[in-house]
Amino acid sequence: MSGFRDGQMKALRAKISQMESHGRNRAGVMSLGDARLDDCFPGGGLPLGQWHAFTGEGMEAETSACPAAFAALLAAPLTRRGEAVWILRRDDLFAPGLAGLGFPADRLIQVCARDEAEALAVAEDALATVGISAVFIEVDAVDLVAGRRLQLACEARGSTGLVIHRKPWGGASPATGTGSAAASRWRIRPAPSLPPPGEFGLGPPRWQASLDRCRGGRPGTWLFEADHAYSHEAQDGTHPLRLVAPLGAGELVPATPFQRSA
Amino acid sequence: MRRIHDLDEAALALGLFAGQKVADAMALVPDLHLADAEPEADDRALAALVDWCVRFSPAVAPAPPDGLFLDISGVDHLWGDEPGLMQDFGHRLKTNGLGVRLAIADTPGAAWALARFGPDEVIASPGEQARALAPLPPESLRLDPADTAQIRRLGIHRLDQIMDLPRAPLTRRFGIGVLTRLDQALGRSREALTYRRPPSPWFARLALAEPVSTLSDLERITTDVTARLCARLETSGQGARRFELTFHRVDGRPESLSLGLAAAARDPVRIARLFHPRLETIDPGFGIEVVTLRGEAVETITGRQIGLEAGRTHAPEDGLVPLLDRLTNRLGPERVWRSTPVDSHVPERSVRPGPVLSRTATRSWDPLQPRPLRLFRSPEPVEGVIALTPDDPPRQFRWRGQVHRVRHAEGPERIGEEWWRGPIETVSVSHVRDYYRLEDEAGARFWIFRAGLYDPAVAARWWMHGLFS
Repeated sequence: MSGFRDGQMKALRAKISQMESHGRNRAGVMSLGDARLDDCFPGGGLPLGQWHAFTGEGMEAETSACPAAFAALLAAPLTRRGEAVWILRRDDLFAPGLAGLGFPADRLIQVCARDEAEALAVAEDALATVGISAVFIEVDAVDLVAGRRLQLACEARGSTGLVIHRKPWGGASPATGTGSAAASRWRIRPAPSLPPPGEFGLGPPRWQASLDRCRGGRPGTWLFEADHAYSHEAQDGTHPLRLVAPLGAGELVPATPFQRSA
Repeated sequence: MRRIHDLDEAALALGLFAGQKVADAMALVPDLHLADAEPEADDRALAALVDWCVRFSPAVAPAPPDGLFLDISGVDHLWGDEPGLMQDFGHRLKTNGLGVRLAIADTPGAAWALARFGPDEVIASPGEQARALAPLPPESLRLDPADTAQIRRLGIHRLDQIMDLPRAPLTRRFGIGVLTRLDQALGRSREALTYRRPPSPWFARLALAEPVSTLSDLERITTDVTARLCARLETSGQGARRFELTFHRVDGRPESLSLGLAAAARDPVRIARLFHPRLETIDPGFGIEVVTLRGEAVETITGRQIGLEAGRTHAPEDGLVPLLDRLTNRLGPERVWRSTPVDSHVPERSVRPGPVLSRTATRSWDPLQPRPLRLFRSPEPVEGVIALTPDDPPRQFRWRGQVHRVRHAEGPERIGEEWWRGPIETVSVSHVRDYYRLEDEAGARFWIFRAGLYDPAVAARWWMHGLFS
């Protein structure tokens, strides 16, 4: 594509996105550090000022360790702009674990809500507050009205919401099939880790993340690795999630290990 | 007619006494130096002395006109023992030019009597009040002078004579006062002292012409009383971190609400709005006639200058502090927290809910020790554990009814008990935990531990303590 056409396309895209946002100020995007990933989103990166949904499967739908870790690392660079709030229904989030993955746990305020409605109300309140850049919300389901309200709260200050769908203990599976106001919807599965060559034990945590739905973008499935997990390199500025390999639709994590691309 | 109110030691040595006519005293000592009595100034000086005595005990009560009580329960050990405390106290007062007489006894009444009529610096041993008081004169009972004179007229000059009298005739003749004072001195009945407390000047009060009871009225008077206190706070450049709002009902019962803030504040609108949703819990009864607001933990806050490039960076006062105040007051302070590191290798102890506003990034958890993302409050039992040798990591286990085959394993990481925390008899090797990080075939990562050391005679117990992401 020639340079001129490139510029034209960019200008047109900007115009369309402005029309789509009804004149509201868009909060911009955040690059995820890999062009293969950023290209899937309309603005060339994870859209901010909107909310994203994360779901686990099987056991993880209830324990929700992998979706929480993935969401935390995805939004970790946002904590440089402001505080993060994590709204829990059950007080089992262990801050040293988050810190070990490379999430700055000292920028995190934890709130334990008594029920779903209260969790969503607190989330709305926190999203509309200046000085807060990311809000993590652990709830069972977000219906259309609640989702729309979250979206309006996100647009108020440009903060980003990360909804972690979590089934209550022994409850029914979250109904994520209905339409929602989420900007993107992710499904996170744990993936076998790969210990460094010649070493025993577990490698850095890996996840298979499927971007099931993305407004104005393309879905996809990727294999991610926590790049700075359990090391002192957490402050080097790169995105803490490293894309190991794209996976085809419905494809499982390959049994043969991929080569680590540095 | 002028009489002598009080006099110094030199005057006492000349044979003068309190209550003597000035004319008589002047006749005896022509060059007597006189000054007018100032009871108000004496009271002020006593109050100042009471405030100073707080260094010895938190509970100090004035005993006008010339005495004070210190409740020294539980503080004397700071000076070694009671004589040590008394010696230091008396020495400091005397260095400051105050002539004092001291006594320590079980009851305020006995201490009062011994300090005035007993030997100086006397300590009545516990339970020995009656013996210590026995030789004292009837004046030591804190009675009306008329009653004392009547007692003396009956030929009673020592307290043990009163103690021996039958109680009923005594009451009939002198009223209940004598017995009450005697019982208080001997510890047979209680006596309440009015301790002097530092007053809180941050207090606003609003009295209403007509009692109110509707919710909208409560909201309005809350706003009014908050504005009144906050205006005073603002003029002196202060802010408060705690507010206590009290509604005084017509029937005399107070109804209180208290409010804690993350940072000192004096914005009346914001503070009143934090109170508003909780006014529903107030039961106004037949009406509320007075509302008071007290500010506590008052500290200096400086006004913030709005920078020219406002909007580029946000100070915590803009959004974060009001948000935290809203959340803590709606959900309760124990439901909003920031995790703070604690120097402990026991996982559940290594985190403490810390103050939500102050960020202490001085030290953090060791990132080289992998810790799970979800830590269960109480570990869950794991069954069907299969391991090659007793100290090997498990190859297979069952948790929540599901069998997991282990693909990768790491461990053990042995975490012992913090034996210095509890009684030494409860320390046991069965409290040692050997933690393993396991990854099953699907990639799920677990943190499980075996309780206790390996013992071939006892089946090992395994527990799931957390999940890695």
